[in-house]
Amino acid sequence: MVGAVIVGSTAFVQLKNDWGSRGIDAIVTKILLGLMALGCVLAFLAAINVLGAH
Amino acid sequence: MAVAAAHLDGHAAVRERYNDVDPVYKEVRDLRLTGFVLFLLSDCILFASFIFAYVYSRDAAPIWPPFLNGHQLPWFDTSFAAVNSVILFGSGVTMHFALENWKHLNKQKFYMWLVATIVLGLGFLGGQAHEWTGVFATGLTWNNSTMGASFFLLTGLHGFHVLVGTIFLTILGLQAASGVYTGSKYFGLTAGTLYWHFVDVIWVALFSLFYLW
Repeated sequence: MVGAVIVGSTAFVQLKNDWGSRGIDAIVTKILLGLMALGCVLAFLAAINVLGAH
Repeated sequence: MAVAAAHLDGHAAVRERYNDVDPVYKEVRDLRLTGFVLFLLSDCILFASFIFAYVYSRDAAPIWPPFLNGHQLPWFDTSFAAVNSVILFGSGVTMHFALENWKHLNKQKFYMWLVATIVLGLGFLGGQAHEWTGVFATGLTWNNSTMGASFFLLTGLHGFHVLVGTIFLTILGLQAASGVYTGSKYFGLTAGTLYWHFVDVIWVALFSLFYLW
């Protein structure tokens, strides 16, 4: 849970830092970083049994 | 080139170095980058086709998880998968740091973050091996149900990508150590980082499908 918060917030900060960068690699990186941050949110929600608790 | 950008700070200096290359290299780099992104998109389609097969099979099944030999198969272990997911997502962040440090000419930190990425990638693979062992113990295999076939195919394909990625990053590290890349020419490192992020993002989809849905 703590790991998800640390990794997710770091990914979000990196996304924010790279927001102004241009070029195809920067665009792809931003998309992938955003989705990775989303993944951390999902992992966090799974860790607290909001998601995936069958 | 580094001298020319010495008066600039941070991202401006990085951008200056990145653009301070001969036009032929620049054109080749842009074409390679486009080609690599197209490769990632084609890999996306590969995963998407198997994901579609899984979603279709699951949607068509009258009950999920399916029954096997008279008993219903258990759900996959979400808690363990969440921890393993964070390990993989963490490796994406460390890889991003590695590339950023290379761009800012901090080679020591680049190697440190690159090694951290490889270690986390191998850690994820170890976690997957543990996960597979646990799933096998429930009686689920790749040829006795659509659930098993989809799970082992997709996580196996993804695990193969992670394994290839760790080899890829190791080679990039060795190339960087032998002077293949400079502060302005580092396409391989960019490609390696994009590939690693891609592998992370594919896992977001697989984690959601197998453990959260």
